Amino acid sequence: MQSNRQLIKDGAMAENLWSYVEDDAALSDAASIISLQRLEDDADTLRSRNAPLGVILRASEKQGEDVRRLAPFLDMIQLVAIEFPVYRNGRGFSSARILREELKFDGEVRAMGEVLFDQWQPMARCGINAFEVDASISLDQFNQALGEFSQAYQPASDGRRGILWQRHGK
Amino acid sequence: MYRYDEFDHQLVAERVEQFRGQVARRVAGEITEDAFKPLRLMNGVYLQLHAYMLRVAIPYGTLSSKQMRMLAHLARKYDRGYGHFTTRQNIQYNWPALDRIPDLLQELASVEMHAIQTSGNCIRNVTSDQYAGAIADEVEDPRIISEIIRQWSTFHPEFSYLPRKFKIAVTGHKNDRAAIKLHDIGIVIVKNAAGEIGYEVHVGGGQGRTPFIAKKMSDFVPAAQLLAYLEAVMRVYNMLGRRDNSYKARIKILVHETGEEEMRRLVDAEFAKIDASQMLTVPQEEIDRIAAYFAPPVLQELPATSASLDSARASDSAFDHWVTTNVVSHVKSGYGIVNISLKPIGGIPGDASDAQMDVIADLAEAYAQDEVRVTHEQNLVLPHVKLDDLKTVYDTLLAHGLATPNLGMISDTIACPGLDYCNLANARSIPLAQEISNRFADLDRQYDIGELKIKISGCINACGHHHVGHIGILGVDKKGTEFYQISLGGSADENASLGDITGRAFTEDDIVDAIENLVASYVDLRHNGERFIDTYRRVGMQPFKERLYAE
Repeated sequence: MQSNRQLIKDGAMAENLWSYVEDDAALSDAASIISLQRLEDDADTLRSRNAPLGVILRASEKQGEDVRRLAPFLDMIQLVAIEFPVYRNGRGFSSARILREELKFDGEVRAMGEVLFDQWQPMARCGINAFEVDASISLDQFNQALGEFSQAYQPASDGRRGILWQRHGK
Repeated sequence: MYRYDEFDHQLVAERVEQFRGQVARRVAGEITEDAFKPLRLMNGVYLQLHAYMLRVAIPYGTLSSKQMRMLAHLARKYDRGYGHFTTRQNIQYNWPALDRIPDLLQELASVEMHAIQTSGNCIRNVTSDQYAGAIADEVEDPRIISEIIRQWSTFHPEFSYLPRKFKIAVTGHKNDRAAIKLHDIGIVIVKNAAGEIGYEVHVGGGQGRTPFIAKKMSDFVPAAQLLAYLEAVMRVYNMLGRRDNSYKARIKILVHETGEEEMRRLVDAEFAKIDASQMLTVPQEEIDRIAAYFAPPVLQELPATSASLDSARASDSAFDHWVTTNVVSHVKSGYGIVNISLKPIGGIPGDASDAQMDVIADLAEAYAQDEVRVTHEQNLVLPHVKLDDLKTVYDTLLAHGLATPNLGMISDTIACPGLDYCNLANARSIPLAQEISNRFADLDRQYDIGELKIKISGCINACGHHHVGHIGILGVDKKGTEFYQISLGGSADENASLGDITGRAFTEDDIVDAIENLVASYVDLRHNGERFIDTYRRVGMQPFKERLYAE
């Protein structure tokens, strides 16, 4: 995590216990976030490693890494970090929902990269529960952004049924 | 018409407050223009050549008289006394001050309107048939499913930062007036053999610099599963659409590069997963609740003809012409659908003054079941008018410059704002539309020429729909001079086609003569009863081209 960033997780300031580890660096016993490629290449040895493991989904120039490649490894990982390279690139919103709704991942899903104020609430609705945000952001500001809209028309990953259903008690 | 309940009201009110906060942060200098840009774009606020422009959503082009009066009021109070109706059935204000836009939006919210998702890379305002609920042989009123799509797509958490903007259009009629095949998703409401309502879904149409006619992805999506199907298409697009080049980011490019078959396989696979959860199956009670708002208006039992109309037509030939061109048969006998042309000879296509908007609101309230529609061809419609009232309505429209009898004629052009307003444009569109309109001002001549759709875009982004004009005109920039390229044979209806470029472009001085030349060729070449597009499809480019470029 960059030094000018702080972590907000599940609606509270949180200590970041994880570090991103480059592909050519050795893995320590600390909680480590590695690349998808390294996970796929070293899955057998990583499976016997006895320390928390996370993966980052990188956004490449064209499309970004496919979240469904994580399917065989979900039992090994406790965290998925989704990179948002620029605010315009909203591919990670779909990755998060697929992780939660289709792959049933229940560990930490973290947003990192360029994430704007008004994107936190939709990110939370898509199942992202941890945010690397600018150190100048207060928890109040964050929670205010998360509550900008009190209702939602459509269901997503956050358990709300959506106004179209709520109107009929469903 | 749909009416907001407390949920709809609350969300729009919260949006206004959110934007007020964003504007305050911008005005105070807490955020830069760069950081503010995505926020204002989500609220329909563009920065144009000279000022901010605000685009207000008119869902599926339907307005009440109260809403129309509000649009007039906003034009007076926040703009320079006019508004511009667009090809997406919306209205744009060209001169609002940024710091007053939150107040404008708050006033708008009081009549259940907003500017949400009228720009940005999200699902835009859903468009539809301007004759919905008034035309015969409709499978179902398209506004019902359009409203459900509007709600589902509003602040969609997953699809608000797509690779590019996304437009959905719906028609419930075999005659397509919503250009559904030129949309990212085009929906045709159909009935299957068992009499059940479902949706034929077309994906990947669009104009811009690389135009495509949409491919049919599904013949029949059952009504209950439509949102799951749409979410499947959207997710495939959000995951696989290109983000490396904004000119290749629309879903039409994804469909083209992936191939129709593979795209269908991807969508079907995603659909199977999403639909399995049943999460997006809209309750029948909710469909019924929304459908009730679009129940046919209670109209009188009247004879199919009107003696007063017949005698008025006999004694007033201008009125007679107007009825012939601008009034369309209504599903209910004794009624008509009135088209109000916003293309006065020499005027700016799609513009209406505050006074005109007020007059139209009054007419809608008194004579048209309180409804106004906006068409994608930048005209307005009074959907339910008694034949007995046509003369009164006409007289009022005439007195306010709103009775031009040119619907579908050569002077009924679509034109983008062009270089007069837009910072993307290469050339002016509006003055050219005005020149063409003036050149062909003579109505007898227009009627002799018959249906001829001219569409003008000031740049390759094709906001003026030039690809689908019977005659399309595209402004291009060559060494700092405005040139106009012509294409022939485009169409946006159920037989959608893209125009073919004639060849070398024309200068500003020559372009109107070139149009004249094409019209003369058509008049010489046509068979009895053929429209321009029919003749072109029969004889092809060559005979037109030979005369157009003859020395």
